[in-house]
Amino acid sequence: MFRSYLAAALRNLERNGFYAAVTVAGLAIGFAAAILIGLYVRHEMTYDQFIPGHDRIFVMNIKGVGTDGKPLDIDATSTNLADDLKLDFPQIQYTARVAGGSFPPAVRRGDVSVSERGFVWVDPDFFKIMTLPAVAGDPGTALEAPDALVLTRTAARKYFGRDAPIGGVLQVDGDPMRVAAVIEDLPSNTSLAGDVFGPSSAPFSAIKQISGGGYLNNVVVTYVRLKPGVSAASVQAAMPSFVARRIMPTFAEVAPELRQSRASLSLKPLTAIHLQPSQGGDQKPGTDVKVLGGIAVIGVLIVIVAAINFVTLMTARAARRAVEVGVRKAVGAERKDLIVQFMGEALVYVALALVLGVALAELVLPGVNAALQRKMAFDYLTDPALLVAMIGVAAATGILAGLYPALVLSSFRPSSVLKGGPITGGGGGRVRQALVVAQFAVLITLVLSTVTIYRQTVFALKDATHTNKDGVVMLFASPCTDGLRDAIAALPGVRAAACSSPAAINMSSTDDLVAANGKKVIVSWAPVDFGFFDIYGIRPVAGRLFQSNRPGDDGAGLTDAAPPIVLNESAVRSLGFASPQAAIGRLVNWHFRPNLSLKAISAPEPPLKPSEVIGVVPDFTFGSVRRPIQGGFFYVGPKTDWFASVALNIKLDPSRMPQTLVAIDRVFKRVSGGQPVLRLFVDQLLLLQYLDTVIQGAFIAVCAAVAVSIACLGLFALSAYTAERRTKEIGIRKAMGASSSDILRLLLWQFTRPVLLANLIAWPVGYAVMNWWLRGFAYHVDPSLLTFVAAALAAVLIALVTVSVQSVLVARAKPVTALRYE
Amino acid sequence: MLRLEKVCKTYQTSEVETLALDNVSLEIGAGEFVAIMGPSGCGKSTLLNVLGLLDSPTSGVYDFFGEDVAGYPEKRLTQLRRDRIGFVFQSFNLIDDLTVAENVEVALIYRGVPGAERKRRVREALDRVGVSHRAGHRPQQLSGGQQQRVAVARALVSEPKLILADEPTGNLDTTNGEAVMAMLSQAAKSGVTVVMVTHSLTHAAAAQRTIKLLDGRVVSETLLAA
Ligand SMILES: Nc1ncnc2c1ncn2[C@@H]1O[C@H](COP(=O)(O)OP(=O)(O)O)[C@@H](O)[C@H]1O
Ligand SMILES: [Mg+2]
Repeated sequence: MFRSYLAAALRNLERNGFYAAVTVAGLAIGFAAAILIGLYVRHEMTYDQFIPGHDRIFVMNIKGVGTDGKPLDIDATSTNLADDLKLDFPQIQYTARVAGGSFPPAVRRGDVSVSERGFVWVDPDFFKIMTLPAVAGDPGTALEAPDALVLTRTAARKYFGRDAPIGGVLQVDGDPMRVAAVIEDLPSNTSLAGDVFGPSSAPFSAIKQISGGGYLNNVVVTYVRLKPGVSAASVQAAMPSFVARRIMPTFAEVAPELRQSRASLSLKPLTAIHLQPSQGGDQKPGTDVKVLGGIAVIGVLIVIVAAINFVTLMTARAARRAVEVGVRKAVGAERKDLIVQFMGEALVYVALALVLGVALAELVLPGVNAALQRKMAFDYLTDPALLVAMIGVAAATGILAGLYPALVLSSFRPSSVLKGGPITGGGGGRVRQALVVAQFAVLITLVLSTVTIYRQTVFALKDATHTNKDGVVMLFASPCTDGLRDAIAALPGVRAAACSSPAAINMSSTDDLVAANGKKVIVSWAPVDFGFFDIYGIRPVAGRLFQSNRPGDDGAGLTDAAPPIVLNESAVRSLGFASPQAAIGRLVNWHFRPNLSLKAISAPEPPLKPSEVIGVVPDFTFGSVRRPIQGGFFYVGPKTDWFASVALNIKLDPSRMPQTLVAIDRVFKRVSGGQPVLRLFVDQLLLLQYLDTVIQGAFIAVCAAVAVSIACLGLFALSAYTAERRTKEIGIRKAMGASSSDILRLLLWQFTRPVLLANLIAWPVGYAVMNWWLRGFAYHVDPSLLTFVAAALAAVLIALVTVSVQSVLVARAKPVTALRYE
Repeated sequence: MLRLEKVCKTYQTSEVETLALDNVSLEIGAGEFVAIMGPSGCGKSTLLNVLGLLDSPTSGVYDFFGEDVAGYPEKRLTQLRRDRIGFVFQSFNLIDDLTVAENVEVALIYRGVPGAERKRRVREALDRVGVSHRAGHRPQQLSGGQQQRVAVARALVSEPKLILADEPTGNLDTTNGEAVMAMLSQAAKSGVTVVMVTHSLTHAAAAQRTIKLLDGRVVSETLLAA
């Protein structure tokens, strides 16, 4: 019996070559997309789980509310937290601090000289916490020597051309350091970053330079590893008293107001870092759970769309198999026999689709990995969970999608079927219509989402930052000096050049508890150069900008006062000034450091000094628009080191960019004493911050395109089938005098109606989804009506184009041909 | 007035050429009731399709109410069909998805008859053939006789000049066959030209003239006394 069924299934597949191909192809594409999405979702959800003992590893997180009322959530702490934690908590086995985000050192060996952006300074116990697989040496003890380095395999090959250059020497900013261990390259599902690891004990390490300064500056990431058997909850429970005992008293001395900033310290699991990105400290961009959830939902939707195809095509073709059903029943088949037969057939189709889908997924995975910057593997043979999931989803699809057609087909009455009577199974047409409506509702929602994500991304990159970055490059120097600036500004293709501190371009942030207008508020501050605002097209909304020809604008000659400042609009509000105009000429008292440097920032706070507000600029940012722009002010500061002056912002003449860039690099090499060139277009820099959004947007767009094509495939086959089924009706109508265009209109309307209905569902759903997603951004676009109309029109157009080929062919056929079909 | 002159119709199917109509010449006057007879496959349906502008002759002249329609584009043929012709088929050819009333209405929709008038004429036509009590039913819920009455109603409702009926009684029992014949005769009496294919001598006797076909050729014409 089974062989008879299999034969019928395969022969049916053969006989209905076109429909079968469409059905299987749609499912296969759906499965391939679902597999890739599944791999991606799993990849994102398993960050850092490969690290042994990851359930005992935590990063210290600070949450609170700033004095300006804005929420604070950072994975960064002060440098002295690690030691105090170790003193107070015997449950903690190891602590390690990591300093990221400092200026990349120049690493040199022989002729190779690189501005090493993968250089990370860590405490010696870092590799005791993160027990990563070693290629050579013992990473756990390697960093005990202050001149030791740990490299990844890739870094070892880059500098030494071999995997285990133990004892090899690299010049780090001119100081010799030795390779003590090599670790395997990090996989892509880790929140850790770095290729070259140096010990914090090195005299010139970034951690050493920024140490001191008590609990005020949150500049390092602090990891802790608990002893085996210790519960994180017990440590967490003791945190409030630790904060009260250790941290608050130090605030009480310098800034009693900070006690109001209800900050709390907590242990955040290592494995949670990626999906709970904070506002600071994270070494790699995190993934928004909402977006990840959205992508997972899209994966499910794609499978559903493909399954709906399957159902519509199977039931649509039911009529053709009516005679088979009639005969089988006449010779004694029971309904359940036929259900088993048709379900079996569905499973054959699905199995075929799964095999094709797996092959397709394997084929495109390398491309997906490159695009998403991941190293996902698809080893389904050695990955039982994956195998079970794939087969499970396929089987569930086969059963669910096969059940309905099986019920419809098996319900035919042999008497009416064999007499050539009607074979429209109970309400099959209506269910099919509903499925097509559902399919298009999904599609329209996807199109809406894609367009909105695109609009938000463009907005984030162009408008929301409130700067004009066209043709501006940043050249990084340690430090950016007047000499460098003047040399570059003198080049013919350069319109203007100005230095800025890392804080001014949101590479780091520095803030202070300032007193003004009778209030005490935390605002950020950032030194800039004359002309900095002009380069980015930022105009004052009140007062004026810094002018090099006005004595005193850079604070020269002032002893009792700090240099004049320019506020941003948020600062005007948080300091409580009535208007930007009202702030002009007022004084802001802050802890001004005359000789600003990385070292100076850790020294005890200097006394308050007043600065006069000379201007107000609109809020702007070089950072992520996911975060609200902080209240802050700018002043013209010294250019002592990279902390005070790190980037030369250069506005180029667009007509001669390539030559100018070459000239800039040449001048830089001459002026900067052999520092490697690190130069970026500003929009590139911003793109890096939005890479997650851009990549996810592109990913969603591709998924939407896949879903659209699967649905079109199904619609095309359905239209072919419908046209075929209706040939008799069309013949009659034509005999009655209908013209080809009457018939065409009839057929097209039949397919347009479900699409229009789908809009009724898709619009409210799409609106709700987009609102929810956009709320994750501090500055965002609003869902626009135009998008909705466009998505609706696009869907109608897609549907019409898809079905028109078949419809035109049928509508133009001669009526006799149609009537003979009987 | 219909006039065929040396009309040939050949069907070309992979390598076999079928001469379905072979030099057929005939004339049918306005208001005439003509029966066409002949064995299966002799070309009766083909002749009816040509007469009904559903198919064009391969060669020859077809004068349709004073117009030589040879080489007319499909669009013009559709217009002529819409304005002048009603069809009745052996297998009824009702649209399964439409109700009885809607099936009849189809004949008026493409003629641009306004909605209210359509409703009225459909009711009248169904009354005339005696199935108005089934107006809301689907064709499949009716007996064969009732279905054919609906088909006749559909042919009559547009008040055509020409009714073409291809074995209209072929699938019916005697009583229903008689009823359909009575309706066609009634139409002929009111001035409509009726051309009917039939295998029944009794039914052919209701016509004024019988044309016999054999292998695509007209072999005899019998004029019956009215
Ligand atoms: N569309 C077609 N293609 C090929 N041959 C056809 C076609 N229509 C009719 N024929 C052939 O033409 C001949 C006449 O057919 P038809 O007019 O249907 O005969 P009948 O007198 O039974 O109505 C037959 O031999 C038939 O096989
Ligand atoms: Mg025939």
